[in-house]
Amino acid sequence: MKPGYDTTDCFVVHGKLALPYTYFAGRVGSTFLTTIRDKKKIMGVRCRACAKVYVPPRQVCDVCLEDIRDNWVGVETTGTIVNYTVVRYSDKHLPKQPPYVLALIRLEGADTPLAHIVQGIDIDKVTIGTRVRAVFAKETTHTILDIDHFEPAA
Amino acid sequence: MSETFGVKVEDIFGTMPDRFRPEAAKGIDASYGYRITGRGSWRLTVRNGTMTIERTDALEGCVAITTADPDTFVGVNIGKVDGMAALTTGKLRVEGDLMALGATTKMFKKYVTPKKEPSIGEYILDMFGTLEKRFKPEAAAGLDMTIAYDIGGSEGGKWTVTIREGTCTVTEGLAAEPTLTIMVNAKDWVDLMLGRVEAMTLLSTGRARFEGDLSLAMKLGEIFAPYRPSAGAQPEEQELVVLKKIISVNQRFATGPVMGKFLNGLKEKKIFANKCPRCKRLQIPPREICAECRVRVEEFVEVGPKGNVRMLEYTYYASPDPLTGETRETPYGTAYILLDGCKGQEVFAHFIRPDQLDRIQLGWNERKGTIVRPVWAEERTGSVHDIKYFEIDE
Repeated sequence: MKPGYDTTDCFVVHGKLALPYTYFAGRVGSTFLTTIRDKKKIMGVRCRACAKVYVPPRQVCDVCLEDIRDNWVGVETTGTIVNYTVVRYSDKHLPKQPPYVLALIRLEGADTPLAHIVQGIDIDKVTIGTRVRAVFAKETTHTILDIDHFEPAA
Repeated sequence: MSETFGVKVEDIFGTMPDRFRPEAAKGIDASYGYRITGRGSWRLTVRNGTMTIERTDALEGCVAITTADPDTFVGVNIGKVDGMAALTTGKLRVEGDLMALGATTKMFKKYVTPKKEPSIGEYILDMFGTLEKRFKPEAAAGLDMTIAYDIGGSEGGKWTVTIREGTCTVTEGLAAEPTLTIMVNAKDWVDLMLGRVEAMTLLSTGRARFEGDLSLAMKLGEIFAPYRPSAGAQPEEQELVVLKKIISVNQRFATGPVMGKFLNGLKEKKIFANKCPRCKRLQIPPREICAECRVRVEEFVEVGPKGNVRMLEYTYYASPDPLTGETRETPYGTAYILLDGCKGQEVFAHFIRPDQLDRIQLGWNERKGTIVRPVWAEERTGSVHDIKYFEIDE
């Protein structure tokens, strides 16, 4: 700003934008979430053509374009970290108190990784290849947080 | 025993133990009463994460007693009737603690009507069994064709459909010389008929083949009404997850000196424009730079407060207000007002008093539109809402 510019009229308007919105998980997503909530099990879908198992599930195989929405298979609740990041900033919409580890976890029996939170391990000790196990939430909300987090597995 | 939507009151209560979710009942120690008109009373007791349901008239000590007719009760439980609407219309009444009763809605999984999905074979039989009924003679006028359906797989079969002189007959077995032959696996055929897969997908992946007159194949969708599973054949209703959220975003808007001058002016019931030193054009609301000449604008001019309406637009679908997220009542009118002291395109946009919208005349060229004046808010904070709206100056 030009030196000497008159700033007496400057002020700040505070706003709070509240946006109501509705998220529909879809039929495939709903089955995935309600199975986690009610049976404490993680399900994926397997492509009949290439045998790839998707967790989280999807309607159509992205390689073969096969319709796979009804070909459910169970996968293990243990898996391996294939990549991770550390969330260090704080914001009210975040699911956990930072810093926490957000990891891509490939469950045993699945071919695609699931993004989730890893706790119960020093952030410095997390590596690609760390084995983890799902800890299911006691209070369910029919969201992906019905798996509360993943913890290190032997 | 009568049913509503195919469900009995007794089904709702009878399945409660199976639908119970102990984790949602943690720390709850209460009894709930249900009086269903003409059916009797039930008492639900929840304690230590367990529950019992009994049919009894003894409802003493219940934290809430719900009274409803069977249709409403069943409708609310299976999600066909809105619970709040039933409450406000009095079809469902609650004595006692409504909040406590609210906890029970989380305690139970939604009641799902038990229905067995038919097997592929049952679907196929039903599809060919209803084909003659689904035939539309008016769409088949002048057609003379024989379609052979070779449905593969253990649950498949072979059928011939003959369309001639506006009639349709279905026979088992394949005709000797069909006009069109459709070859497909039973499961794929069922998926196609139920709309779970597109015909083009099946054809392009080689899972379905048509032989003969392909142009006739394209017409099949017009000749037959779509297949609808008969009452007993509907797939089991699935619980669908829908999340309603309100995202809240905090924001800060720094006015800067120019917009600040304009907004502070509104506090004093003054409307400021600023004037370009080069083209002498007024900008309202004022901006730091002239949008045409790209030079800094520093001279402020007070305009209005009255003006004439040049254009009026109605908004029927309002987007949320960027500062509050609230959505205005629609329809509302936004007017482009040429305030006194402004000319040409130097219009200012604001609301028109809602009940006067239909009396506003627009101006064009030298002709003035309806003269309007601002209605100032009692408490002014330095916001465009310091002007509530403009009203007809009379």
